[in-house]
Amino acid sequence: MDTHRPIVEMRGISKTFGSTKALRGVDFTVMHGEVHALLGRNGAGKSTLVSTMSGLVASDTGTIRIARTEVVANGQPYAAKIRDDIAHVQQTPQLFNLLTVAENLFLENPLVQKKFGVVSHKRMMAEATALLDKWNIDIRAESLAGELSAGTRQLLEIMKALSRGVPVIILDEPTAALSNAEKRMLFEQVKALKALGISFIYISHHLDEVFEVADTVTILRDGLVVKEREEVGNLTVELIADLMMGEKTARSVRVDHTQADAPHLLRANGVGLYPVTEEGVDFQIQPGEIVALAGPVGGGKEALAMMLAGQLTPYKGKISGTGGTLPTIGLVPTDRHASGYVGMLGVRENVAIGGLDLLSGRFGFINLDKEAAHVGSLARQTNVIASSLEQAVSQLSGGNQQKVVFARALCQNPQVIVALSPTRGVDVGAKEQLYALLRDLAAKGLGVIVVSDEEDEIAQLANRVVIVFQGRITGELRGDYTMKDLILNMEGVA
Amino acid sequence: MSSAMTGKAQAQSGQQTGRSRLSALGSAFVSGGYTMYPVLALLVLVGAVVAPNFATGINLINILEQVSVLGLTTIGLTFVVLIGRLDLSLEGIVGFAPMLAAVCLVPATAGGFGIELPSWMGLVVALGTAGLIGYFNGFMVVRVGLNPFISTLGLLVLLRGGVLIVSNGRSIYSPGPALTYLGSAKLFGLPVSVLVFALVATVIGLVFKYHRYGRALYAIGGNEDAARAAGINVDRVIWSAFVFAGLLAGLAGVLMTGRLDSAVTTQGQGIIFSAFAAAVIGGVSLGGGRGTMVGLVSGVLLIGVINNLLTLAQVPSFYVQASTGAVIIVAAVLTTVASRRSSGVRTRT
Repeated sequence: MDTHRPIVEMRGISKTFGSTKALRGVDFTVMHGEVHALLGRNGAGKSTLVSTMSGLVASDTGTIRIARTEVVANGQPYAAKIRDDIAHVQQTPQLFNLLTVAENLFLENPLVQKKFGVVSHKRMMAEATALLDKWNIDIRAESLAGELSAGTRQLLEIMKALSRGVPVIILDEPTAALSNAEKRMLFEQVKALKALGISFIYISHHLDEVFEVADTVTILRDGLVVKEREEVGNLTVELIADLMMGEKTARSVRVDHTQADAPHLLRANGVGLYPVTEEGVDFQIQPGEIVALAGPVGGGKEALAMMLAGQLTPYKGKISGTGGTLPTIGLVPTDRHASGYVGMLGVRENVAIGGLDLLSGRFGFINLDKEAAHVGSLARQTNVIASSLEQAVSQLSGGNQQKVVFARALCQNPQVIVALSPTRGVDVGAKEQLYALLRDLAAKGLGVIVVSDEEDEIAQLANRVVIVFQGRITGELRGDYTMKDLILNMEGVA
Repeated sequence: MSSAMTGKAQAQSGQQTGRSRLSALGSAFVSGGYTMYPVLALLVLVGAVVAPNFATGINLINILEQVSVLGLTTIGLTFVVLIGRLDLSLEGIVGFAPMLAAVCLVPATAGGFGIELPSWMGLVVALGTAGLIGYFNGFMVVRVGLNPFISTLGLLVLLRGGVLIVSNGRSIYSPGPALTYLGSAKLFGLPVSVLVFALVATVIGLVFKYHRYGRALYAIGGNEDAARAAGINVDRVIWSAFVFAGLLAGLAGVLMTGRLDSAVTTQGQGIIFSAFAAAVIGGVSLGGGRGTMVGLVSGVLLIGVINNLLTLAQVPSFYVQASTGAVIIVAAVLTTVASRRSSGVRTRT
């Protein structure tokens, strides 16, 4: 095979969804053995472009060539034609929860099939075990996919794609659910496969990952290419941010509004994060304080946050507020698609369900004027952009969906807000707006608890960082900590 | 930031052509549940031309009286369907609740238990039984964690048998005014059953749309986890939805007993299928989270009008059943296509 010829060549790709032009004549090429990062804000067209590449979404115009397969796009499905040349790992794992790890890995894989499509169970288990060993992951091939943690599921999805033996692999936000250790595993595999001539298209909101793993960068903005095939060495974070935004972006810094002398808002006493921990966790939050809960995936930071939010009952110990009454708590759950918003309902209804007590009058009927006013002001406070408050939330962009979730969490006028992965899968602009919102809430005297895996995010927000590992609090940073302190503390336990 | 938002909204409305305004109107029409009303109007028009007896006041009131039982059952069913569940046992309740009440009232010589409770207790026993059965269903689904299909299917069969046990397999005639008033009396020239249906439909329609309970139902049906994260007591709402469903089925059963002036052993048989059909025709999504009272009523009326027309047209009764089935399929297709075309969202019906 001629390795100087691009492995992927796309010309004049356009895609229109309803009235939005997601892609407007994009050219895109990928060379053999290259990790090609695709950058851009949410809604810039990254996911749409890779979806047209894998055929998940059919392009309206243009030509697509992957390896030796050539497709002239006309809006008709072509995924079947290029299925053997490309693998597409999507943002959310597409696994079968009730099948085993091995079955998930080798579904429809000719490697384990005998005559008449009969699957050899023995060969499948052997292959799966070998693959898991190669990745050095400590799970059994016969466990059910549904029992695994989010990070492991994401890794499994990636392994499935990598093991199909295709020359081109799309990784769309592969690290969103991964811990640092899992990230390392992934990057090692990517580098090893790259050396074998496999090409990757890599989408990520984390520029540090891009600098670490990518060779080439293409930047999209509003469905157009603004930077094509630039060597990663020629780029800086500032330059990329400018190209993505199309305007200068100022980076924000943290502010401390902690009211240290005021009575605490919420306190955990000897709270057990796992069913079998002996040690309990003590935690408390002051008005105006922004606390980040950090630590590896499964270390207990999510469990602690959900217990503080009243969504999980502690296995032991007690959560209390000032004077015995629990404060009103607003929750931003970790996965907005699964438990954040109700897609078929409009913005107004989504926000209002967070504050039905507040918005309903006598006999429980909703006061419509109050609802309109309250939801309207929350939508402005959180900068929700929608054609109207009745627009279905499933039709909004990721950043706006997340803002709706924030608005809902604020609907009951909470004293404490618990936000898990507050900016996961959200573009840079929306991220800054959400950070500003959280700081603003702290300034108003709310207690803010943020669960995050991103050092940048924590450093920009948190006045105090609490490291949770193996169901215990293993470290704490206060006030003027440096980025280096933070990274060392977070890595120290990983 | 308010300017950014209104600015965008203005820009969009400025771009709006006549056609997109029309499509917005179409969306509102479909999502409001009005899809089937033009079909209904057409049917009534055709009926008026084809069958001379159709468009008479007596016949139209007759249709309303006939659909009120189905209507109440469908409203009950919609409570659980909105939250993405179902309840097959409602059919059993329609038969069992009034039967149990009847045997508690009438003397042993007329087939009763012989306890001869005072007449006013009839309604209490019937609705109390219905509510308790609903409570049991809620318990099975929420606490035990059964799939409502299997738990309510079991209960449906159980209640069918229960009717035969408590009645000894015989129908009970003239069970007393408390049980029969609602289904047989007239007020202002209209059957009380029609008034009951209209009242219940109005009140619950308002609850669905404007009450916090209704908002919770739609939220749970749309995304249960999000509803939980929003602070809604999901278990309690699911549980109570089954109780409301049971109560409404019990009320439907009382109306039916009243109309026949007797509690019949086969009472309510097959009504759950019509109720599902009416709900789906009316745009209630079996996947949960979608459906309006306006639409539901159109589904109920459509089934009533079709049955009536086929009877008036003297179609042999075997054909009536088959054609009702065909109509259900056609109407369900129409509703699904209309909702997909208007909102782009696939509805599971």
